[in-house]
Amino acid sequence: MGGVSGFTDRHYFLLAVIFYGVATLYAVFLWRRGFRQDNRIIYILLLAGAGLHTLAMIKRGFSFQRCPVTNLYEATTFIAWTVVASYLVFGLVRRFRFLGAFAAPLLLGLGVFALMPELDKHGPQPQFRPPASSLHAAFVLLAYGAFGLAGVAALMFVKQERDLKYNKTRAALAFLPSLQRLETVMMRLLQVGFGLLTLGLLLGSGWLKQEKGVFFQPDAKIVWSLAVWLMYLILLVARGWFRQGGRRFAWAAMGTFAFVMLTFWGFNLLSDIHHP
Amino acid sequence: MSVVVVGLSHRTAPVEVRERLAFADADIPPALASLRASGLVAEAVILSTCNRVELYAATDQDPAAALAGLRRFLLDSRRCGAPLTTELYSLCEPHSLEHLFRVVSGLDSMVLGETEIAGQAKKAYDLALRARATGRRLNRAFQRAFNVAKQIRTETNIQRGSVSVASVAVDLAGRIFETLERSTVMILGAGDTGEKAAKALLSRGARGLVVTNRSFERAAALAAELGGRAVPFDDWSAEFAQVDILISSTAAPGYVLDRARLEPLLPLRRGQPVLLIDLAVPRDIDPAVNLLEGVFLYDIDDLQSIADDALRQRQEEIARCEQIIRERVRGLLELPPAPQRESTLSATPSARRTAAC
Repeated sequence: MGGVSGFTDRHYFLLAVIFYGVATLYAVFLWRRGFRQDNRIIYILLLAGAGLHTLAMIKRGFSFQRCPVTNLYEATTFIAWTVVASYLVFGLVRRFRFLGAFAAPLLLGLGVFALMPELDKHGPQPQFRPPASSLHAAFVLLAYGAFGLAGVAALMFVKQERDLKYNKTRAALAFLPSLQRLETVMMRLLQVGFGLLTLGLLLGSGWLKQEKGVFFQPDAKIVWSLAVWLMYLILLVARGWFRQGGRRFAWAAMGTFAFVMLTFWGFNLLSDIHHP
Repeated sequence: MSVVVVGLSHRTAPVEVRERLAFADADIPPALASLRASGLVAEAVILSTCNRVELYAATDQDPAAALAGLRRFLLDSRRCGAPLTTELYSLCEPHSLEHLFRVVSGLDSMVLGETEIAGQAKKAYDLALRARATGRRLNRAFQRAFNVAKQIRTETNIQRGSVSVASVAVDLAGRIFETLERSTVMILGAGDTGEKAAKALLSRGARGLVVTNRSFERAAALAAELGGRAVPFDDWSAEFAQVDILISSTAAPGYVLDRARLEPLLPLRRGQPVLLIDLAVPRDIDPAVNLLEGVFLYDIDDLQSIADDALRQRQEEIARCEQIIRERVRGLLELPPAPQRESTLSATPSARRTAAC
């Protein structure tokens, strides 16, 4: 792959995180201004970050001849990449462009976390064997990316809903999507994420059967993944069947994703399969 | 050849004067023909709306003489014998072009930044074009004016936000509902502002309208006028499950809708939000209902405050718009072949009006 001589994929990722950091600072400014007018700067900053981020992932993938989803560093960068790539698609719609202001802090947080040296200490050595497991990991991480963006949309919903109730002028002049549209986006992202997670877990189970002769093993990460799957299932059922929408649904989408992010690395380390 | 303008607007003349000088659409082509036949001007456009009557012309003559002739023409053709001294303004380049750009961009409108005037100016220009009353000079000026209006609309906030209570209500509905096409509006009490807000919502695509009033006859009349359905006042809550936007403007001395009455109705809405607009004084809706999930309550002060803020924001944008206009006028006047520069008759808005009439 091309690029600056001597720059590793981590250098490119570091540059991407710097762009996410600048976008976060700019997001504070936009937040204080009340999102009053269409603004492309946040989109451009995240586009630049996403470009470098993609370059870092491609560089690593080509260097090691595998999908870069085999350790915590790679898993975290993959989730962040899914979030930013999905945002760039949504951001093409003007009223969704400010979703970037809500996504930037998440991307910065994920980026800084991924850059912790401990997460990538095994370097290029895969922690589990490709390619079936890579596909499993890719689907699962794409799912977490979709859940992440749903959490970001949920944060935007909560802010918009609060402003509509208590900060009425700010809400009326803000250039943000309607509550119902945000809720639809949240729901669609959760549905897509849930589908991907289901597919990823099925692939993982198939791989386990192939390698160890069983579909299920009481491994910490597997149990945790099933718990996450169940939590999202409950969330979708509650919304679809019991019409538990609005603020509670948004808080639940944010809370569930926060739980995933806060416990993902811990359960990964506890897992014998995922962290041999 | 230079562009000049003579006219009057809501800023300079009351409606009684404006209506006397206004042109009906049918009167404009003969007036343009007669104006050109007089030899006073080579090209002309007449812009006549409820807020302004203006003659834009391109002339080879001395601007001061041409303006005096245009004033005479305007008053004679409208058979206005009154000596209008301060009502008429006369402008020549570059102020005439700046004025045209300002008018088309909505900066000179009664509602700052409104877009209706751009459509009216296009219609006036088309009428003149069809009457073969325009030429290279005015074609270029008007096309540039439409272009500038578009630039101002996209690059500034001059049209952002709503500056009337009815349009704020529409804006707020747009912040909550994905589309108004699936929304049903209920008017509780057939007041004038409520009716305006309902009309604005219906014009933006609201699906259905339910009207209720203490006098059922009044409700039925309004429902018939707006294409809705009237229900007896005592039964309005039975309709609430289907209502997305409720506009209340009754003359009731106390709350018509409070938390105790609304809370049992919300589960019927299956999680769908509801926008309550309380236009009544004293208020019809208990402010405590705003604490309920999915309920968004706005009273008349909220709406007025939003409208005022939007207007303030628009006013803050005027300087940016004026800058764009100045640059685009300069660009137009520097286009080859360079038009002959005329001295200006007036440099400031207050000095625009001329006594000659």
